[in-house]
Amino acid sequence: MAQLTVREAIAQTIHDEMARDPNIVILGEDIVGGNGTAGGPEAIGGIWGLTGGLYAKFGPNRVIDTPISESCIVGAAAGAALAGKRAIAELMFADFIGVCLDQLWNQMAKFRYMFGGRSTCPVTVRITYGAGLNCAAQHSQAAYAMLTSIPGLKVVMPTTPADAKGLLTSAIRGDDPVMFFEHKTLYGEKGEVPDGDYLVPFGHARMVRQGKDATIVTCGQLVGQAAKAADLLAKEGIACDVIDLRTTSPLDEEAILDSVEATGRLIVADESPPRCSLASDIAGLVASKAFAALHAPIEMVTAPHTPVPFARELESAYLPSSKSIEAAVRKVLSYR
Amino acid sequence: MSTLRAFTMPKWGIEMQEGTVGEWSVREGEPFTKGQLIVSIETDKIVNEVQAEFDSTFVRVIAQTGDTYPVGALLGVMADGAASAAEIDAFVKSFEGAPGASVADRDGPSAGHASAARHAGGPSAASAAHGAGSSTVVTAPSTFEIAAGIAISPAARELAVRNRIDVARLGGSGRNGRLTLQDVTQASRPERKVGGGSPVSVAITTATLDRFYASPSAKRLAAEHNVNLAVIKGTGPRGRISRQDVTQAANLKPAAGPAAPEFEIVRMSAMRKAIASRLSHSKATVPHFYLRTEVNFDALLALRAGSKQQTGAAPSLNDYLVRAAALALIEVPEVNIQVHGDEIHRFRHADVAVAVATDKGLLTPIVRGAETKPVAAIGNELRHLAERARAGKLRPEEFESGSFTVSNLGMFGVEQFDAIINAPQGAILAAGATRRRPVEVNGRAGFASLVALSLSCDHRAIDGAVGARFLAALRDLLESPQRL
Repeated sequence: MAQLTVREAIAQTIHDEMARDPNIVILGEDIVGGNGTAGGPEAIGGIWGLTGGLYAKFGPNRVIDTPISESCIVGAAAGAALAGKRAIAELMFADFIGVCLDQLWNQMAKFRYMFGGRSTCPVTVRITYGAGLNCAAQHSQAAYAMLTSIPGLKVVMPTTPADAKGLLTSAIRGDDPVMFFEHKTLYGEKGEVPDGDYLVPFGHARMVRQGKDATIVTCGQLVGQAAKAADLLAKEGIACDVIDLRTTSPLDEEAILDSVEATGRLIVADESPPRCSLASDIAGLVASKAFAALHAPIEMVTAPHTPVPFARELESAYLPSSKSIEAAVRKVLSYR
Repeated sequence: MSTLRAFTMPKWGIEMQEGTVGEWSVREGEPFTKGQLIVSIETDKIVNEVQAEFDSTFVRVIAQTGDTYPVGALLGVMADGAASAAEIDAFVKSFEGAPGASVADRDGPSAGHASAARHAGGPSAASAAHGAGSSTVVTAPSTFEIAAGIAISPAARELAVRNRIDVARLGGSGRNGRLTLQDVTQASRPERKVGGGSPVSVAITTATLDRFYASPSAKRLAAEHNVNLAVIKGTGPRGRISRQDVTQAANLKPAAGPAAPEFEIVRMSAMRKAIASRLSHSKATVPHFYLRTEVNFDALLALRAGSKQQTGAAPSLNDYLVRAAALALIEVPEVNIQVHGDEIHRFRHADVAVAVATDKGLLTPIVRGAETKPVAAIGNELRHLAERARAGKLRPEEFESGSFTVSNLGMFGVEQFDAIINAPQGAILAAGATRRRPVEVNGRAGFASLVALSLSCDHRAIDGAVGARFLAALRDLLESPQRL
């Protein structure tokens, strides 16, 4: 076990996997980053500092700086994967998924299906996402709900350093395209990371807190907020299950239903705006499969139906928080 | 003969479904040339002109100016040369089966007119009805009112008025703060206290099991019993370890659920369910009434004893009872019936069903035409049927239908009881045990063997007097058994 940040866990996993499998290539904007600067090619190592040291170790054939073109990054990764490589593609901001949506949605997601299972597309698209750092409307979005709705893509969202390692390893070694969402506010999160080979299977939620009064289902940045709310409520004798989905596709329906059947109350916290969101999807799932267990209407804690604001105060009002989750728990519990 | 061509309602744009024909710029029989204006057509979006794409002549103009036609409907027929009226008629007729025409068929060529007429009639009829309604419906005077301008759903409004809830102070949870039924329902109930308890632990007990692909409840179980998940092979979807896998692998006893109930739950067999359903239906829907009497069996018992002395075997009292019931049914045919809705089915023969207890439940095999069979034959048939019933080997025709039922619990010592009619039959006879009882005979006290009989009748078809007549006939037969 080592104490690492999410950032360190991801960087270390990429190093380990690339060393283990010479077939792996990594592409992205500025992932080498320093070419042409006074500090030399490795001076930067990506704007999020996740890809430092790769270039020196694996060279220009495996660590590739690309033009500022998401369709190029994802398209090249998909092509390399079809031709027998294993690719890691980095999108600096989830907001630009729109630019490469054809490569993701129409190409990558469909290959295995349309070629009758004879072709696979082992690409891990690492995507930095989410609000909270004052990046404004075009650099703050939580685009995971949109990709979760696409059959053929797996959607993964680690929240702890250990999960970052375990899920990224599973993603890289798997044969299908994986959308690996990294929240930009979570890169600094510290935690224990198991040494050696460590894989976390997909479709397998993590229990974060355990209680009998209400179930909080969430993912990504809001897992920490939900845990904080649960700890606060526990001081008053209110015990909540907190479930970190870890992957939204595949979705661990069983964990959600198990918990709701025990507690009878559900709060879904989701960083996306509410329409056609993960929150509404899970609320629908529970309403149709665990209706009889519910004691109160399902409460959805989401961002409002509006772009992410730039102003700091507005952005914090926009984002769901431990306070809004706590209020939702109280509201659900007060249903009479 | 020249080639005929159809001129149809064009489709301009994805959403166009119909168009209204404007002024025709060409006339029937007048040649037109390519590029010439033919007709203007109005859609719900635009008015546009149709130009000729080739030279031709209209041999028939079908669409009238101002009429609305669906896309693809035939508006006119064109030909380059002469065409006979018969040819054109045949062409128009053949066009009716074409795809465009089928659209036309749905609403008819004058759909525009028809719907316009409906619309014209609609509002006035509706407003008349509304006027009538508002003048006749008188709501109970209520001093409780909801202020105008409060956004509230109709059902919520009704509940708020009924429960006299001051909705002005409620926050609506609907769109733009609209009050919903749920809001008002909540306000009608006492508040529920949240929190304020003593601290509890929400620490996770299964964190070390995170790497295993197991259901949350399986993990909880594994943590409680120190079960190593690494050695368990999951049987769930995608190899997931389920709670059951843990229970089996660790040889755990299933967790003690809530205290075992003080009863055993026995699922109803299909037969039990059928009995339950049929008898519930009978007792719930058939108006039963009961006629009770006592019959002196002395003569019958003497007859039977004589028969036994002669032949060594004798029919049972039940066999005599079935025979007597059959004869009485022929004598009083108003009781030999089935009731089906508004119809009474009066049977020609006495098809007497006899209740037989089996270990699976009650069965009622039927002695058909029992009035035609001697007592001994009835006895043999009944024993045969009862055996088959107990063995579960009755064929449907051996127990279905029937015009009357005899149920005898005398052999169990039951003195008297009332039975539920075996619907759709009209009546059932319940017989008790033979008892020696003091009776008055010609002014002197004596003893007699009495049997209590109870006749349950369906009052929809059988009146009290009819039932009484049947019971009297039956008693006469049983008390003068030589007639049996």
